[in-house]
Amino acid sequence: MRFHLTRFAVATRFTLIEHGRNRFAMILVGLFVPVWTTLAYLAMPDTPARMRLHATGEVLAPHGNELTEISGALNAVTLITGFMMFAATFSGSGFDRRLAMAGYPRAHLVLAKVTALALVSAAVAAYATAITCLAWTPCQPLLLAAALFCAGLTYGALGVGFGSLLRREVEGMFAIVMTSIIDLALQNPISSSGADSPVMRYLPSYGAMQASTAAGFSTSPVPGYLAIQLTWFAAASLIALVGFRRSTRSSLPLAAPTPLPGPGSDKVGLPAPRQAATPSPAASDTEAH
Amino acid sequence: MHHAYRRRVVLRGVDLRLRAGTLCGIVGENGAGKSTLLKVLSGELRPMRGTVRHSGRFGYCPQHVVLNDALTVRQHLTFFQTAYRLADVRYAEEVMEVLGFTGYADERTSVLSGGTRQKLNVTLALMHDPQVLLLDEPYQGFDWDTYQRFWDLAARLRDAGRSVLVVSHLAYDTERLDELWRLDGGLLRPDEAGVAA
Repeated sequence: MRFHLTRFAVATRFTLIEHGRNRFAMILVGLFVPVWTTLAYLAMPDTPARMRLHATGEVLAPHGNELTEISGALNAVTLITGFMMFAATFSGSGFDRRLAMAGYPRAHLVLAKVTALALVSAAVAAYATAITCLAWTPCQPLLLAAALFCAGLTYGALGVGFGSLLRREVEGMFAIVMTSIIDLALQNPISSSGADSPVMRYLPSYGAMQASTAAGFSTSPVPGYLAIQLTWFAAASLIALVGFRRSTRSSLPLAAPTPLPGPGSDKVGLPAPRQAATPSPAASDTEAH
Repeated sequence: MHHAYRRRVVLRGVDLRLRAGTLCGIVGENGAGKSTLLKVLSGELRPMRGTVRHSGRFGYCPQHVVLNDALTVRQHLTFFQTAYRLADVRYAEEVMEVLGFTGYADERTSVLSGGTRQKLNVTLALMHDPQVLLLDEPYQGFDWDTYQRFWDLAARLRDAGRSVLVVSHLAYDTERLDELWRLDGGLLRPDEAGVAA
């Protein structure tokens, strides 16, 4: 058990350090979230926008600026987590492969990435909810945070998938931005007259959008829509996992690990310079045919 | 082994046996397929035909430096210590001492010079005392002194029974090698010129 915990803890620590040193992402979190959500709140008219919320069946008339602010918060959270995970995966795929080929269990690397994604998504979602609560008071702030968290998880997993499968950095960034824009713009009743269309149910952040809108303007709990969002997260994670397995696989046949010198052994240490050429009995050959 | 990138055939039937206690070199022109051969030997690339069998621990140093720019040198050692399941990093510290970059242990790799990054690249391949060591252009960026110490280290490993395979586009210092092969036209041919008797 200690074996697994150590490997998981080391990988998680270094994954979090890597995210923390992504300065641009930190600036985005610090500035982009408040600027985007505050502008959406201040610049949009507060005229009531009549809409029917699928999640509860209620007909609501929220202020247009508050509805846009929720959409902006979702947009900011999904772009940031998607970008952070894409950047880490894209730049770190060779390093992950090297670690895996050196014997680091891939399951521990994956679990560390998921843990880091969950922590990043939780922090950004909590921050975006706090910024929202400064401007107006949603009916269910905790549900809003949960919806933003689930959307962040989903786009983070998509970012890992794009990072594993795409060849150029610009391709991945474009894919994340366009996915988020299409996804959220189509669902916003202010900007899209088709926001009641059944097609919306198949968009990646449908569950989070329904849950966050309910969180803003209704008192009904909507756990089923958080579950829909988590299903999207599971599907995106599966794609990411396939990409990760593909990029870190080894073509060599599995071999039993050769024992290493134990702790405190005299064998630990470089061989002395210029000894007689006497191959050790443990030494082995490599053959290629 | 045979390998091709679409229509471009790179390896046309390479047959190689790397014996214990041998310092072996493979040279060839740019694009001859040296890195492809080493990728196949390390398991990074699956050959179209053929098999690779390592009977012991092996270490692979890729041609391009593969590091994580967010981490320090010491954090790299800890990460790979965990991967290799080592009790400590004393062996790695000795390699660092030989290559002369112990003073950079707490520096982030993004701020290191190209030569120092390459030293860490080599150390990560060596730190578990592999029985078979595959090195792709390992001394690029090294100053003369480090270059000499690298060859001294390779000889020490060979003398202790390790197999060391060095791939390079330049056939310098071939007298240091026990075997020298030339990769040409997708085939490995013995190159006797300059090899130590």
